[in-house]
Parts: sequence; C-alpha cells; structure tokens
Amino acid sequence: MPLAFIKNIFFYIGQRIILTIIALVVLSFITFSLSYIVPGDAALVAAGPNAGKVKIEQLRREMGLNLPFHEQYIIYFSKLSKGDLGKSWFTHQPILEDIKDLLPASTELVFFAMLFNILIAIPLGVLAATKRDTKTDLSIRILVMFGAGIPIFWLGLLLQHFLAGEAELFPIAGRLSFSNRNFESNSGFILIDSIVQGEWSVFVDSLWHIILPSFTLSVLFIAVITRTTRSTVMKALEEDFIILARSKGISEFRVIVKHALRNALVPTVTILGMQIGWMMGATVLVEEIFGRPGIGKYAVKAVTQSDIHAIVGVVLIVGVIFIISNLIVDIIHFFLNPRLRNS
Amino acid sequence: MFKIFNYLRNPIEIAAMSFIVLITLIALIGPLVAPHDPYEANFHNTFSAPSFEYIFGTDAAGRDVFSRVLFGAKLTLATTLFIIFIVSSIGIFIGIISALSGGIIDNLLMRFTDIWLGFPPLILALGFAASFGAGMKAAILALIFTWWPNYARLSRALIIETKDKEFILSAKAMGVSDLRIIFSHLIPNAFDVLFVQISLDVAAVILVISGLSFIGVGAQIPLAEWGAMIADGRSAMSKAWWVVFFPGLAILLTAISFNLIGDVLRRELDPNLSGNK
Repeated sequence: MPLAFIKNIFFYIGQRIILTIIALVVLSFITFSLSYIVPGDAALVAAGPNAGKVKIEQLRREMGLNLPFHEQYIIYFSKLSKGDLGKSWFTHQPILEDIKDLLPASTELVFFAMLFNILIAIPLGVLAATKRDTKTDLSIRILVMFGAGIPIFWLGLLLQHFLAGEAELFPIAGRLSFSNRNFESNSGFILIDSIVQGEWSVFVDSLWHIILPSFTLSVLFIAVITRTTRSTVMKALEEDFIILARSKGISEFRVIVKHALRNALVPTVTILGMQIGWMMGATVLVEEIFGRPGIGKYAVKAVTQSDIHAIVGVVLIVGVIFIISNLIVDIIHFFLNPRLRNS
Repeated sequence: MFKIFNYLRNPIEIAAMSFIVLITLIALIGPLVAPHDPYEANFHNTFSAPSFEYIFGTDAAGRDVFSRVLFGAKLTLATTLFIIFIVSSIGIFIGIISALSGGIIDNLLMRFTDIWLGFPPLILALGFAASFGAGMKAAILALIFTWWPNYARLSRALIIETKDKEFILSAKAMGVSDLRIIFSHLIPNAFDVLFVQISLDVAAVILVISGLSFIGVGAQIPLAEWGAMIADGRSAMSKAWWVVFFPGLAILLTAISFNLIGDVLRRELDPNLSGNK
C-alpha cells in the first residue's frame, strides 16, 4: 500500500510538473507573439524621432528585428530564461526590476483579499448550507447575488467616495500616510518590515490603507466561494457517512466541521488556487483607483504609454503566478482527495 | 425560447426577467426613446444634478447621462452576445473534434485547453490592447482568446456522454452520415446545458468588458459605454456622483438579472449540474 502510494505521488506530481512546463513555454510563446505583432517598430522608438533611415536599419539588425519569427522567438526565450524581460520605455529600468519593486505591494493586497475571501466566504457558505431554505440562507444568497454582479471598480469608487472621502473612516489612497512617508522598507512588504522593525504605528497605518482596496478586490471572489461552499457542504450533508456520524450521536458542530466541511473543501481549494491568479490580474482595476503602487497600476500606466515590453512582462509574471499556483493546488488536491491518492 | 417565462417561481426571478426584457428593448430601440443626443456637448450645462429634464444628470461635457446609459445598453449587449457567440462556436468545435476523435488528439486538445482554462482575461487583454492599440477590438479579442476553453470542456463532456446513447447508435446503424448526426442529434441534445452556460457567462463578460473600458483598454471616451462613462466621471466624483453612479447601476442590474436567469435555467434544464436543487 505505501509503495503504491509513493508511486502514485511521483506519477501524479511528475505529470503535473510536465504540464506546468508546457504551459510556461506556451505562455512565453504567447507573450512573444504579443510583442511581435505590435504595429509600432521597436527600432523606430529606440532610435528616437530624428534618426535617419540607415541608423534605424542598423538598430533593427542589432535588435534582431530582421530575423524570421522563430529565430526571434529563440532569442527571446533564451533572454527570458536569464530573467531578461527587456527595458521599460517610461521608467528606463529593466522590467524585471520594476516588477520586483512592485510585486510585494500587489502581493500584500492579494494576500489580504484572499484573507477576507476565506474568512468571510467559507463561514457564510457553511451557514447557508446548514440553514438551508431559511431566512439566513436567503439573505446570504442575496448577498452572493450582489457580489457576483457588482463591477468591482464601481464598488471601489463608491467605497472610496463614501467611506474614505465623506465619512473619513479610511484613508483615500496610497500605502502609507504622509507622516510615515520616510519609512524604509527593504523587502517592499511594508506590513512585514514594520513589524520586524517594531514600528507599530507604521504597521497599523499600512493595515488601515489596505482594508478598502483588498475588500474591493475580494468581493467577486467571496461570492464565488460562498456559493461553491454552500452547494458542496449541502451535498456532503446528504451523504451516508454524515447520516452515520449523526446517528452515532456526534455533535452537530463536529459533524459539520470535521466531516462535511473536510470533504466539501476539496473543490473550494481548487477554485481558491485559481483565484490567486485572477486576483493578481484584477489588481489592474483596484490599484489604480486607490493609488497604490503595484503591478496592476504599472500595467495600466504601461498601456497608456504604449510600453509593449512592460505590459508583456506583467502578462508573463501574472501568467507564471497563475500557472504555478495551479500546480501547487493540484498537489494539495492530491493529498486532500483520497480517491486520487489511492487510484 | 418563451418557455423561460414558465420557469419563473418568485418575484425576484420575475423582476430579473422583466429587467432583461427591458434592457433588450432599450438596446433595440434605445436611440429612439433617448430624450437627448448622447454625444451632444453643452458646456453651459455641465454637472447638472438629476432633474426632470436630465433624470440622471449631466456629465463633464454637459451630455445627458440618461441618454448615454440607454445608448450604452446596445453597445454592451451587442458586444457581449457577439463574444459569447464566437467563443461558444470555437469551444463547441474543439469539443466535438476532441470528443469524436478520442485518443491522442483528444488528449492533446484537452491538455491545451487546460492550459488556457481560466487564464486571467483582464491581464491578457492589456497585452492585446498594447499590441493592437486600445479599443473595443482589443478587448473583444482578449475575451475570445481566454473564454473558449470553458465551452470546449463542456461540449466535449456532453458529446462523450451522448455519443453512445441508443438513439445515436441507431441513427448510425441506419446509415445517417456523421455530419448529420453531429448537427441534428449531438448538438441539439447538448444545447440546453450549453444555453445555461451561455446565460451565466453573459454577466461575467459584461463585467470584464466594462472593467477593460474603465481602465482605458476597451471603449474610449466619448463613446457611450458604461465602463468608459464611469472612468470619465471618477475625477469629479465628489461634486457629481451621478456620472459614476448610474452607469454602474446599469451594469449591476444587468449582471444580476442575467445571473439570476442563468440560475433559473440551470435549475430547470440541467438538474445534474445544479448545486441548488
């Protein structure tokens, strides 16, 4: 039995890793194609407005733009494997550096959105399932209905206007207040660095700044997870082993949490994993509104500046995050799901 | 088609269906009933609050927000339905090929589909916008590229489920051609479930499209598109909330209504998939 189990692990995880590698190569091919088909010629831009024809031609050759598609792709891929994503036209920095600077801020945002998501959605889903067809269930379903239909950028603007602007309960924008502007964050994770340095006021300030944007980001995802949890828990509660557990006189709380939830969480975890990538993508809607530096705001800026390499860089990074988080979830899935484990 | 009306069970569902009928009517005849020209600027009448003359107020250029919301319905619904038509066609095509060929082709197609399944559409749209230039075209292309895998998976599963059913086998035995079996038996038989998926996707596509316009990738100002209108009004939010509020409300109500009706259809047409019943 244990030997078969280990063999299963290697087979399953090996297969997932191979698929992940293929997905990453396909992703690089797509990001390359995006920059290849761009109508503006990169050499024209790099040469500047006053360059002559000869100079542009020379640059084009230097940049490898006269080579056929597949050779250009091979060059792109080999640069990529060294972490070279090209240079941004508007920050004049290597794009990888830009992203490294901004990713911590976006990660903090996504982390808190995920925290809201798990802490709100799973309890709500379980509550709705156990109180099925009551007033509680109905109100949770109405909330889900609104959460799944609300445009989050609109919600963000309204929350910012009413809760931050009018009621002054939250700061309007940014990651820190003006008084804390000199705080030095080495890693870029202000929330972590402020704890490490013992700067509690900075920590609280930064936490205060992240609440509205991360809640805004989480709303749609909360609706999805509440809905999924509700229906999976409901299904689990009808299973024979639950009826058996109940008949043994185990308390209702234990039945729900230990038996029903455990089984019901398998599909929920899969969706949560996919949501990490979606949330990273959705930062383009939220960071701009709340004036938070991050890869989403960077991508929007890059679009307005027609900075193709910077955008492609963000597409690539978010794609990698999406693919890798799916891989991790697949592996977690393997351990959660007894049917997969023993087959 | 009109069976939908018999499925409605409670006031909320009736309200949702009425709203869909209303918004479809507005999309069709909106330009006729709009009280003002949605593109006519009037700089003597900027940011005027909602009144009898301008029931949703006016925006920064003095344009009538109500008329713009009405015009926006057509743009939003037409784009959304176009996208869903294209992605479902691509998806069904790939799903059928995958299901009927089986073996290595099936495997390859499905692995390829898995890679795409759920790739964040917003971020990919930014890439397309940069390549093709911002505009509705980029937004539509991005959605098409990211949305088809759902339909490929679903239709493959449906075809595999039905292709060995007795009525298909007997049609085959009677010498009916493969193409005919696909078009007059397999696809119609899968249509109910696909239709449920389509109705649930309408809301999601509307939200993504308006989001793209909001960040300046999709529709551009002054085009009367709901997301673009919200982006246009946000800098003046503190003195003219209505410019932002009403287009957003239109998105919210449209999305909620389509979601609700999608749920109704799922309950009635696809008992296997329904988590609620």
